[in-house]
Amino acid sequence: MSDRVPPHWLGELQAHFGAVLRSPLDRSTGTLRATPAAYDADAVGAVLDGPRARAPERLAVYNRQYWFRLFGVLQTAFPLTARLLGHWRFNDHAGRFLLAHPPHSWDIDHAPDGFEAFLGETLGDDTARDALLEAARIDAAWRALFRAPAAAPFRPTAADAARLLDARLVPSPACAFVLERWPLLELKSALASARGEAPVPLPAPLPQARWWALVRESAGIRHLPLEAREGELLALLRRCTVRDALAALEEAVPAPERAALPGQAQRWLARSVERGFWTGLATEPPSGDGQGSTQV
Amino acid sequence: MSTRSIARDALGLGLRIPHYPWLFEHWPEVGYFEVISENFLGPALPPRARLDAVRARYPVVLHGVGLNLLGHAPLDEAYLDALCRLADHVDAPFVTDHLCWTGAHGVSHHDLLPAPYVPELVELAAERAHAVQRRLGRPFGIENLSSYVEFGRSTMTEWDFYASVVRESGCWFMLDVNNIYVSSQNHGFDPGAYLDAVDFSRVLQVHIAGHTREPDGTLVDTHDHPVPDAVWSLYARAWRQGGPFPTLLEWDDRIPPMPEVLAELAKAREARA
Repeated sequence: MSDRVPPHWLGELQAHFGAVLRSPLDRSTGTLRATPAAYDADAVGAVLDGPRARAPERLAVYNRQYWFRLFGVLQTAFPLTARLLGHWRFNDHAGRFLLAHPPHSWDIDHAPDGFEAFLGETLGDDTARDALLEAARIDAAWRALFRAPAAAPFRPTAADAARLLDARLVPSPACAFVLERWPLLELKSALASARGEAPVPLPAPLPQARWWALVRESAGIRHLPLEAREGELLALLRRCTVRDALAALEEAVPAPERAALPGQAQRWLARSVERGFWTGLATEPPSGDGQGSTQV
Repeated sequence: MSTRSIARDALGLGLRIPHYPWLFEHWPEVGYFEVISENFLGPALPPRARLDAVRARYPVVLHGVGLNLLGHAPLDEAYLDALCRLADHVDAPFVTDHLCWTGAHGVSHHDLLPAPYVPELVELAAERAHAVQRRLGRPFGIENLSSYVEFGRSTMTEWDFYASVVRESGCWFMLDVNNIYVSSQNHGFDPGAYLDAVDFSRVLQVHIAGHTREPDGTLVDTHDHPVPDAVWSLYARAWRQGGPFPTLLEWDDRIPPMPEVLAELAKAREARA
């Protein structure tokens, strides 16, 4: 590859220009507006006035493009969250996130990475905080499934069956388990075909939380209902050996449920394998969320 | 080197997500498709599966927006490795990107940003573009930008700058006539003079697209409208001066149904007459 060293002035120019691009847009008038008067003086000084606009206004085209492009990327990555907040409020959070975490990758789809965690810090005591964070986690899980590589499902052999109890099931990157306290997956599906920027009302909380498996298939991402204990078991299986997961579940359930548990657990385990929730068996501990499926 | 070829007068289309349902049902006659390289460099399965379905029926060329040829930092080796793998995978007849910078000092701006037109940067860009082409093992084309600023430091015209980089790199010109028109209006130069300086024997492909006029008169390269008459006129002039060349329509936002996009592409034939 080329060894030529770029001129020093190019690095300085690009630093000043980059500062202009990332200048926050003003929200005080109720619309997002560039504020050319506040631009880095060195960047403005490097640019000529044009036939249609002076140097700061010419730079403003890039400043607006930077923000609107990235707001669009975050809205696409977190569509449910964006609609619950409404795009105006969502962009406020997105702007603060991007100032704190400017994109580093050539892949623009990485720009929203970590937004759901940032939202947890920035939402403060918003009355809908818990529901909004649940929405953000669902959006993040959906996004992770879409971006996951191809993964062959685990089809156990006789030898696998023999070592199953003391091994850990490796989660498929194309599968996530979601515990839902508001009917947000239903809302996400409804909003997929309804474009808009205004906030949509938060639905009433569910009488009981419910578990889902999100599964990427060739036709798209499907959500499959799970029984309550089934969801708990699958979540435990993500991080424990099969033996430890079964023991933890048994300990968690009330005594009257315990008698039926072994048979149920066997059925849930078999169904999870059939559905392709796992890619294999491992004996080492899990290495983190990036390794396998997500639990929300 | 690709085993697939594109006719010198082929008409191609920039492939975008909204096209897929109609495309996969009708498989229209299109000379080739161009895809944005970065959308397919990651491991995600759905984009790759769609791309494989398309490349089974059409030649596919790659168009990048993230090479950062004029960035202050060295070219990203991991990015280039992934680009080479993708070009091999789709057997791309050629690969293109822009003569611009897209990020600096560890921050990616995700925009196609101009630099001053000076001989010092001709040497830098030419050396890097040459290395990219050699690494790809297939023709590499450099696209001219739409731009909204000019730098006081520039000592060359835009067309001299591009021509010099193409000549010194041994690469190709990815000539975007909409970008010439947009920049000519924003900076007050004659787009015809630009075309007069182009060595059409080095033109790999020509892009056409629409743009938007801002309230202050600035033209912005939005790719969200049909190709305006002024751009068709410039395209016709380019064809008279240097045709035939493969021609590709870019429509990236407010994308109408695919038959409408294909009808817009077909207008290129009328413009050539």
